[in-house]
Amino acid sequence: VRKPFARPRTHDDFSAEIQAHIDLETDRLIAAGLTAQDARDAARRAFGNVAIVKERFYEASRWVWLEQFLQDLRYAWRGMRRSPAFVLTAVLTLAVGLGLITIAFTVFNAYVLRPFAVRDPESLHQIVWRAKDAGGQQFHWRDQQELAERHDLFTAVVGEDTRFVSSDGRPLALAVVSRNYFEALGPSMQLGRGLVASDVDDPGDPAVISHEAWTRLYGRSPSVLGQTLDINGRRATIVGVLASGFTGLGDWPRDVFLPRASEPERAVPEIEIMVRLRRDVTRNQAEAALAPFMIRVIPQRGPVTVEVRPQASPNPMTVEQLAIVAPVFAAFVLVLVTACANVSNVMLARAIGRHREIAVRLSIGASRSRVIRQLLTEGLLIALLAGAAGLALAHWGLDAAVRAFFSTLPASVQPMMRVAPLTFDLRVFLFAVTATLATALLFALLPALQASRVSLTDALRGQGAAAHRGSRLRDALVVGQVAVAIVLVIVAITLWHTGATIGGIDLGFRSAGVLSVNVRGGHDELASPLAEALASDPRAGLVAVTSGNPLFNQARRLNASTDDGHASARIRRTFVSPEFFPILELPIERGREFRVDEARTGAAVAIVSTATANSLWPGQDPLGKTIRLSAVDTSDDPPELPVVTVVGTVRDIVSGLIFTGPDTGHIYLPTHAAGPHATAVLVRERAGAPLTPSALQDIFRRVASDPQTFEAVPLEEMRGLQMYPVLAASWVGSLLGGIALALSISGLYGVLSYALSQRTAEIGIRMALGATARAVVGLVMRQSLRLAAIGATVGVVVTFLVLTTLNAAMRLATVSLVDAGAFAAGLLLIVIATMLAAYQPARRATRIDPSQTLRADA
Amino acid sequence: MKTRSAIDQEQLALLQGTLDVLILRTLVFGAQHGQGIARAIQETSGDVLLVDHGALYPALQRLEAQKWISARWGTSTNNRKARFYTLTKAGREQLVAQSDRWHRLASAMARVLGSGESTS
Repeated sequence: VRKPFARPRTHDDFSAEIQAHIDLETDRLIAAGLTAQDARDAARRAFGNVAIVKERFYEASRWVWLEQFLQDLRYAWRGMRRSPAFVLTAVLTLAVGLGLITIAFTVFNAYVLRPFAVRDPESLHQIVWRAKDAGGQQFHWRDQQELAERHDLFTAVVGEDTRFVSSDGRPLALAVVSRNYFEALGPSMQLGRGLVASDVDDPGDPAVISHEAWTRLYGRSPSVLGQTLDINGRRATIVGVLASGFTGLGDWPRDVFLPRASEPERAVPEIEIMVRLRRDVTRNQAEAALAPFMIRVIPQRGPVTVEVRPQASPNPMTVEQLAIVAPVFAAFVLVLVTACANVSNVMLARAIGRHREIAVRLSIGASRSRVIRQLLTEGLLIALLAGAAGLALAHWGLDAAVRAFFSTLPASVQPMMRVAPLTFDLRVFLFAVTATLATALLFALLPALQASRVSLTDALRGQGAAAHRGSRLRDALVVGQVAVAIVLVIVAITLWHTGATIGGIDLGFRSAGVLSVNVRGGHDELASPLAEALASDPRAGLVAVTSGNPLFNQARRLNASTDDGHASARIRRTFVSPEFFPILELPIERGREFRVDEARTGAAVAIVSTATANSLWPGQDPLGKTIRLSAVDTSDDPPELPVVTVVGTVRDIVSGLIFTGPDTGHIYLPTHAAGPHATAVLVRERAGAPLTPSALQDIFRRVASDPQTFEAVPLEEMRGLQMYPVLAASWVGSLLGGIALALSISGLYGVLSYALSQRTAEIGIRMALGATARAVVGLVMRQSLRLAAIGATVGVVVTFLVLTTLNAAMRLATVSLVDAGAFAAGLLLIVIATMLAAYQPARRATRIDPSQTLRADA
Repeated sequence: MKTRSAIDQEQLALLQGTLDVLILRTLVFGAQHGQGIARAIQETSGDVLLVDHGALYPALQRLEAQKWISARWGTSTNNRKARFYTLTKAGREQLVAQSDRWHRLASAMARVLGSGESTS
């Protein structure tokens, strides 16, 4: 058997064979009667051109491309060492672009592409139910147990109940998992073992912790196994540490896993069910087979359907997701393209400077494709260096971004926040390599094609005919860069402005100093004892209960109509205890507050917002009027109070999402701490004595064994949390816009200084003929402004189209994304940038010495 | 490549692709070196077919790459070192297939040309 890569035949061996041929032929001719000299000449003649045959032998060898490539690499390397400044700029410019796009891809990969690090992730599906206007993926443990018997559909059924628990005062993300969880999924372990079925009966409460928790809590101590971990006051024993890849069946990493013991079923369905679908069962079959089950376990009015949703990764790719991700990714791509344009531009200038060298190579027999290959190799080398630097940059950048994310989050949510492991896996690496190669083509192909298209005679004579064509191309690149920069800059300014506008919206109430406490995990009944515990504690100030705290959720929508049915409006309704209004410093504008007896009995009285009053009784006094409430949809539950009498009015406030603005109508109904509608608590802290976390924990512990049942967030921080996405988007937008702007300034600068160097003689003559410095500066500035103006026009048109579309798609009530101010500011910034880029070249132009240039030209 | 001078007009330059099958055919009689192959083709064709010695070696290299022939350095009858080529099993099969194709082509050509003459 011959080896696949047998040693190729050497050139010497081939030469020896040809020599043998000529010798043999000479022998034959001598034997035929010729003299030795004649015979040798004839043999050579008969053979033809030995050199060409040898060359054909050489080129037919499969190693020749490699040899030429190595030659090109060596040549490129030598060339690069001669101009380190150029290489450094090019590598850094591209590395920024590549690093940014790698960061974007790594995040996308972690949340969308990367399958769960378990055995056969492709067979994993989540069970989801859907009804009209509702749907969910929460079930009971008994449902999981029932589905586990369906061996005709699934090879495994696991359940996972995730919630926060307290562990020595800090919150931990806990997953209580079905007993088959680790065996069915088969994640790899860093240390110890996974949970097994018999663990349920283990009195030592065995627990498995995540790699991240191991790092955060135990500093990767190898002796962690056997140590105990406090979980709501119970001691669990650590029996295993997961390897870093697996963090639970979701995009939100869990810290610790406990086996489901025989604790009582909770009233509210809380567990998520994941199944491994049998290979011989389709999703449709499984969905059809589960229909009766779903109707039985989900108590809903109207039809309930089931979806067996493929869930190989935390967020399997969908069209909607792509629609959200694509524009963000496009912004990163634009920055990379701008970086490429910059490097391309410099390479074009260099190539034009090298046209004589290229002409010499072409004239001594190099083919055009060989020259192009040579130039592309230089590009590839730069791109590879940039790719490596980009990966390093991405690694560092991700680290910094995660740290920035955590440090800018509101303090009360920060310990709850978890980020999926943002690691470089094979997918990220392949992406980086592909991006690098694409980059190399993008920035090196154009200059290579341009440079190799030389007229030999002109070039060797020293006239660069290519220079002019090249400069047009470079102008086009700069125009493109300016266009991209203006798109990103305007978008960034719009984001800032939008953020500031939304951030500046008057909530209508005073959020500072108010603490919101929500009850997690459906234990709504705990709101009442908590309110009582807080009210009796001297450390807390005024306490109110509500059916939903402002800024946390949108209150239920109802139809409200006047008694005579002439006017009606869509409004939101919230049950509040009388203390609600003083806590939020929301003065009663007309009428009165709820009386204590009204609150206690849940009397049919209401306090309405100004907007409600205006839409139901425009221009009239609403006090004493009757409102009829009805469900928006007949299939919904009927309202708790069908007819109420208005006893007071208050200002309109922002009760739900800040960016939707103040409510267009709200109605407050009375309740009290022990009332059925009390599900959340508001506390105003005592002036100058804020409730400390330990005091809160102390009070919480008096009400529930697990203080993490309660989620305490200051309203002020909730406002910050709602603003966070806008803020983060404007940071990213500004970063991208800033980089694009810097790149286009340097691109513009490069083009101008190069054009100037080409026009030295011309300017010299102009000056000799009497052109003033002003006129010369004008010359340079005009060129700069012309390019910027074309780029800006293109950019503004594109931005306008993009933002108009986005605005129509998002329909934000409070702001318009098409913002004349942002456009004006963006344009102004570009004009300033253009001036900045032109300043240095223009100054240099005025210093041209006419006598010197004239002498040089002669 | 090179244009051949007018003196070779009596002899026919080889058509593209014909050289390979001629080499394979020549090697049926045993191992032979390059010069021997060229000479043999010229002689067996009655000096009608002219082998461009320069074109012979790339052809041999090609056949060797396809493993239809194998090569070994040896000594010629007049005691010179030369590279000897032998037909492989795959080469033998190839020769059968190729010569069959050439026969069919040649007879088809002959029929077409022959009928053309008869009508004129």
